[in-house]
Amino acid sequence: MHDAVNHVIFGLDPTWVAVSLLLGVYGIIMAEKFNRAVLSLLGAGLMILCGVITQQQAVAGIDFNTIGLLTGMMVIVAISQKTGMFQYVAIKSAKAAKGEPWGILVMLSVVTAVFSAFLDNVTTVLLIAPVTLLITDALNIKPYPFLFAQILASNIGGTATLIGDPPNIMIGSAAGLSFYDFLVNLAPITPLIMLATIVGIWFMFGKGLHATEDAKALVMQFNENDAIEDVLLMKKSLFVLFAVISGFTVAHSFHLEPASIAMFGAALLLLLQTWGMDLRAKDHAYEGIMAEVEWTTIFFFVGLFVIVTGVEHTGVIEMLANRTLELTGGDFNATAGAILWVSAIASALIDNIPFVATMIPLIESMAPTFGGADALVPLWWALALGACLGGNGSLIGASANLIVAGFAQRAGHPIMFLQFMKHAFGLMLMSITIAHIYLYLRYLN
Amino acid sequence: MKANLIMTRDLVVCHPDQTVAEVMNILRDRSFRVVPVVDEGRRILGAINMLGLLTKLVPEYIVNGDLKSVAYAPDIGLLLRHYRNIIDLKVSDVMDRDPTIVHENDSLLSVAAALITYDRFEYAFVVNRENELLGIISASDILRRLSKVDPEGLVDA
Repeated sequence: MHDAVNHVIFGLDPTWVAVSLLLGVYGIIMAEKFNRAVLSLLGAGLMILCGVITQQQAVAGIDFNTIGLLTGMMVIVAISQKTGMFQYVAIKSAKAAKGEPWGILVMLSVVTAVFSAFLDNVTTVLLIAPVTLLITDALNIKPYPFLFAQILASNIGGTATLIGDPPNIMIGSAAGLSFYDFLVNLAPITPLIMLATIVGIWFMFGKGLHATEDAKALVMQFNENDAIEDVLLMKKSLFVLFAVISGFTVAHSFHLEPASIAMFGAALLLLLQTWGMDLRAKDHAYEGIMAEVEWTTIFFFVGLFVIVTGVEHTGVIEMLANRTLELTGGDFNATAGAILWVSAIASALIDNIPFVATMIPLIESMAPTFGGADALVPLWWALALGACLGGNGSLIGASANLIVAGFAQRAGHPIMFLQFMKHAFGLMLMSITIAHIYLYLRYLN
Repeated sequence: MKANLIMTRDLVVCHPDQTVAEVMNILRDRSFRVVPVVDEGRRILGAINMLGLLTKLVPEYIVNGDLKSVAYAPDIGLLLRHYRNIIDLKVSDVMDRDPTIVHENDSLLSVAAALITYDRFEYAFVVNRENELLGIISASDILRRLSKVDPEGLVDA
């Protein structure tokens, strides 16, 4: 790999240039002073302009399965969230708890976890957190425990499926693991982690949650049926959502990649949504939905893939992988454990997307040591569990955490960084311990 | 035609240290929709208006559009709770700090454009070069003026 014929600017060492760019971009992203998409695209551009890789190599390094899957799901969600069906489920679940604060907390957390398994975590909390604030306002109690539980639930739920969290999309795409593989291997452990986390939250906040009978009665007066804004569109959205998820489940048997299914579903829902409108109204609707796709995230991914490709090209990642294997003595169990814990701690402190983007080639280059790509599968689960659950370790661990914190701030109940970490870090370590035991029992020993 | 020729000059103003309750009384007793906030030199600092006050009573997560509709929610006592919270605040805590402002020599076309561009309320405050408040001009002032112009007239005056 490192014998590439590229001519690096000023005759500099390509390794030095690529690693500096990677660390520079990651460092500036962490400082949160600039938009991360802009930084990653600048880094990607410099990787090419400095001559570390050619444009062709850069484009080949972009994982279009990840990009297509993300974009397709964003379009589907952008349309279906207009129907109000997610708010309907949130209110229905809060009422099922008879207005009891602890019951509402548990119900909304479970709803958040389930939605997060099938939708983007950020989208899920964008939909559920405002309803939660309205309900806690009705109960006249502090929203912090509810929002805290939802943050954890969104990251735990997101761990369960291929499409639940961007790291899983990237891992599935790179390692050729299907939606079904994730469902069979990761989904079984998430309910247990969720349960343990809720028990932990009960010990922290359970006894302090009280609401008056009048306040509970107010919650029972919420009318979930009024949350549905467009019944026809809801039916169309549900049809496409179920079709797409069923498609994901069987995709592998038909040699289809998830991106094809998501993009096809997105196009189908765009067609169904505007069925019967005149052309002008159709154009207007398409443009509105396209504007709601989070292009910042998409371009962030594109830049990131190019940066990591550049670094990969210099052979540094292979070297790091070898160094890791030296440390673990080439022992598979120790390597899996190291990946799980390092991913968890790293994801608590830095964005897990660039971390996973870097880890993927690192793990791939361990294939010869462990006897081929197929043998690596448990390592992918370790990476997925560590990177997704690790996001719960701090307020900056995942985008969804910051979104909820933003809501809390605007509602006049800011979530403090250290306060969150005090409550969350221990629960995160507990979830990683459970994950480690699961990995050990099922794949290692 | 300049803004200063059709603006309303007779204005009731308030000061940043007054309480919200006092301004609410002015708004209610004189059926005004807006009261400008000025300093001792009558320089404009902001404005208190009905919709702006109502905005302060509705939670931020509704105002900023995170919940597009709350048709499913009953009256949960939020408005009253927030009303009691803001009534003793100072004007400077709740005023709109960025009201639409036009210059006394601006043309009516320019005033109309300013009203539409900012697209929030139907009025603009008219100030002189020193930012001193001279009057207020509303959408209806402009329309009323136009209806009086001779149909043969070629300029908006």
